[in-house]
Amino acid sequence: MPSANPKPRSYRIVGPQRQIDERETPHPRVDRGELGEKLRRWRTTNAGTDPFRRVLGPAGGGAPNPYNSLQHIMCAVPEGPVNPERRPVPDTAKMARNIKEVARFFGATVVGITELDQLYVYSHRARNNATMGEKSGDPVNLPHRYAICLGFESDYEKFLANNSRISDADYGLGNIHTIPTTFMLASYIREMGYAARAHHYGRSEINPIPLAVNAGLGELGRHGMLIHEEYGSRLHLSVVTTDLPLAVDKPVDIGAEEVCKYCMKCARTCPSHSIPFGGKEVYNGVEKYRINVDSCYKYRLASRGQWSNCVICVSSCCYNKPTAWWHTLATKSIKWTPPSLRVLIIKPLLWIDDLFWGKRPWKHMKWLDYDNAPETNARICNIPGCNVKHANLQHKKLHTA
Amino acid sequence: MTYIITEPCIDVVDTGCIDVCPMDCIHGTENDKMLYIDPEDCIDCGGCVPACPANAIFPEAELPEQWKHYTQINADYFKGKK
Repeated sequence: MPSANPKPRSYRIVGPQRQIDERETPHPRVDRGELGEKLRRWRTTNAGTDPFRRVLGPAGGGAPNPYNSLQHIMCAVPEGPVNPERRPVPDTAKMARNIKEVARFFGATVVGITELDQLYVYSHRARNNATMGEKSGDPVNLPHRYAICLGFESDYEKFLANNSRISDADYGLGNIHTIPTTFMLASYIREMGYAARAHHYGRSEINPIPLAVNAGLGELGRHGMLIHEEYGSRLHLSVVTTDLPLAVDKPVDIGAEEVCKYCMKCARTCPSHSIPFGGKEVYNGVEKYRINVDSCYKYRLASRGQWSNCVICVSSCCYNKPTAWWHTLATKSIKWTPPSLRVLIIKPLLWIDDLFWGKRPWKHMKWLDYDNAPETNARICNIPGCNVKHANLQHKKLHTA
Repeated sequence: MTYIITEPCIDVVDTGCIDVCPMDCIHGTENDKMLYIDPEDCIDCGGCVPACPANAIFPEAELPEQWKHYTQINADYFKGKK
């Protein structure tokens, strides 16, 4: 099925694409030990050394009991029975407005609708689900026609305390927040008499990022994530796929395509050098910026000796700002300027961004018992006789710049 | 896979690579003539490659033929030390 028209600007289909097998995605690969035994061991032990982290995380990965993981419990039933009494939909635009309002009422920050492109549906699933009778390795059959894409805003301040337990806690909570809203929206549609399935963190049969781009929530950034005009990349994404007839949205041009060309802030600040400085590459028939997923994932081993999601690229993105008139003014100015002239406005704005927000945005924060201050003493090396100064890049360079 | 430090590092030991390594996996002592990458900790990010003034660092799969044995030399350095 073709993507919505017009085509998105931030990625381009240039060749034949294949469906991705969910077992090729990072978490299943780590569980199989394909990214190294050390990482596999860490995921099953060190990832859950902190009780607070365990509550926010999925079952496994160090969490001792799945019944103490809300994610695990809520993920169990992504699909349910459909009401046999189907409610007619004479006006798809009106129904789309209704769905968006209901989704926002249930907790979504932003909502967009697109046709479900089967190329962004996984070919096979990677996770077992006893409740649904689904097993790892089963082929995925998702014949739904539409994808309702939901975005959930993360806390701006906590994400600025990046690469710490504080930002990681908000990341974990954001993942959980996607689940009840997505579940309820899918249930609402099934109660109207149409098939619908919830795809959220921990239980998904689709890749939400290209669908969200197609649904007009934003553009694909250099760091491989969605960039929303107002919330930047601090949006958790989830999707409801359905047969409910809906009017679809169009991909948007917010100017992020041009901004990513010049900004490079995510590439400069990525501690694991996973984000490219260069141009786009073709992967699986898609021309886009290609990040090094493996080194990004493996960096979890280094993040303060803890298992945490670093989110430095999310917080350093120049679109990541609090809601304020000057941010709206800047993003609208870029958006409303013709693409060929945008460079004239982007470069001064990037200069202002560096001046006021720093080249490496970061904030010292104390919260609960956590303190994300740079460690003052260099880590003691465990190699006898080693005299090089180890202090970990995030502390010695990133946060002192 | 891992990155490997090879012969051009000998007697140069610039340490620029240590500053950029996010994993702190490049080590060396005062008595060592070169630095070594711990293959167990390296995450293959390649950040050390442009930082090396001697062009001594290569991904394991792209090692020049004459320096293939440095894979073992780097790994051996950490044997029994951890």
